[in-house]
Amino acid sequence: MSPYGTPGGFGTPAGPTVFDPATLPCDDNVNAYTFCVELKGSQWFLQKGKMIAYYGSMEFNGVGHGRLDRLVRTSFHSPLHASDWVVAEGSGKMLLADRAFDVNSYDLEDGNLTIRSGNLLAFQPTLALKQSIVPGFLTLIGTGKFVAASNGPVVFMEPPIRVDPQALVGWADCPSPCHHYDHGYMTGVMGGLRALTGLGGASGEEHQFEFVGAGTVLLQSTETLLAEQATGAVPSGAGVPGAGGTHTSPSQTAGTQRLPGQLGDLQRRFGL
Amino acid sequence: MGTAGYLRCVAMFRLQGSKVLAVDMTGDAVKAKNGSMVAYDGQMAFKKMSGGGEGLRGMVTRRLTGEQMTVMEVKGHGTCWFADRASEINLVNLQGDKLYVESSNLLATDAGLRTGTSFTGMRGASQGNGLFTTTVEGHGQAAIMSDGPAVVLRVSSQYPLTVDPGAYVAHQGNLRQSFQSGVTFRTLMGEGGGEAFQIRFEGDGLVYVQPSERNTIAGDV
Repeated sequence: MSPYGTPGGFGTPAGPTVFDPATLPCDDNVNAYTFCVELKGSQWFLQKGKMIAYYGSMEFNGVGHGRLDRLVRTSFHSPLHASDWVVAEGSGKMLLADRAFDVNSYDLEDGNLTIRSGNLLAFQPTLALKQSIVPGFLTLIGTGKFVAASNGPVVFMEPPIRVDPQALVGWADCPSPCHHYDHGYMTGVMGGLRALTGLGGASGEEHQFEFVGAGTVLLQSTETLLAEQATGAVPSGAGVPGAGGTHTSPSQTAGTQRLPGQLGDLQRRFGL
Repeated sequence: MGTAGYLRCVAMFRLQGSKVLAVDMTGDAVKAKNGSMVAYDGQMAFKKMSGGGEGLRGMVTRRLTGEQMTVMEVKGHGTCWFADRASEINLVNLQGDKLYVESSNLLATDAGLRTGTSFTGMRGASQGNGLFTTTVEGHGQAAIMSDGPAVVLRVSSQYPLTVDPGAYVAHQGNLRQSFQSGVTFRTLMGEGGGEAFQIRFEGDGLVYVQPSERNTIAGDV
């Protein structure tokens, strides 16, 4: 028997829990910051570089990989940010984590959920990933599990509700999202001046997102946003929100208008 | 096994919360990262140890390998608390085996443990941490730091483990590590799998990984 054979460490109460493939949870959290995915010949989509360790044999391929064409056609519908995603396949157990943020898994059953692009970590290919009409958000449709990161634990709220823009993680089952402004700050010359300059006291909470309708709203417990992931530009056309490259991440702003089918700038791919 | 070691080292390491290490001492000593003391109770003496307290040879080796470590020796009666930039702290029990850890992730060790440097090869290079790492050996306790609580994974002959170099923190035991590179023409085209560099551990021991990735050369490739 090896000295590392007993789970729970070396018999001291202070010893950390030791995991091996048999004791690691299956598609569940190891702790608040680490999630374990079990692959049995199946596939998962994950954001580049979020795998921290794995047991077993696995392969990680960019979604541009030719063999994955069919899978990408059925469950990956935002080709313009494809270079940020990889497909893991094989068998074994894999640990996912994101900059020591809280991670949680969510189950969708024939449902839909829209999430801020920077928060989504991984999803099962039974779900389809699409760009949301709301710039900077992605929508998952179908049945399956996905993993999302948040700054602090996530709370679930029922609409009607008004939320702080920075605390919003996403929403499920289509409540209608819209902007809401406190009218005291929007009416009259003084109100306008106050809103613009902050003179005379702006609370910083004059602008909220309002959700009405049936569904669930997901909030994180801080107002510190996770770094936004590029969701890719949408084809320019009349009536398309965010079209014409107006919604871009900082790494994209330097570039010119993106061509349809262009997968990503070389600089971003190499993390420069 | 290892009880003899425990009877000899009376400095007791315990965690107070997950980010503060408390050490109870009765006249014995611990080595800790310079400046990491946040509070103490009782009588304590702090002494800076040049070159990690490894003597002249250790000092020269550390200077040459770039594994600099500024260490102080804390000795006394009472309780001393240590913390460093709100990093998560993990306790490691050593019973005659060897712990390999980056000097920047090592917070405190029992004074009875020997520290040294060892060559890591390509793993260190891929982490951006240099080619050498710190070793801790003997009987006693050590405290290592990580960004987010570390997950401890066991490696045995039937379960080899593959780790992302950016998430690797430390390992202990009798492990062989090999460096795997999945760089293909697709990586150069920007269509790589995002996990081009990996370290594979085989043998018998424990590996500590943190739920966050340092920026490495392999970053987005």
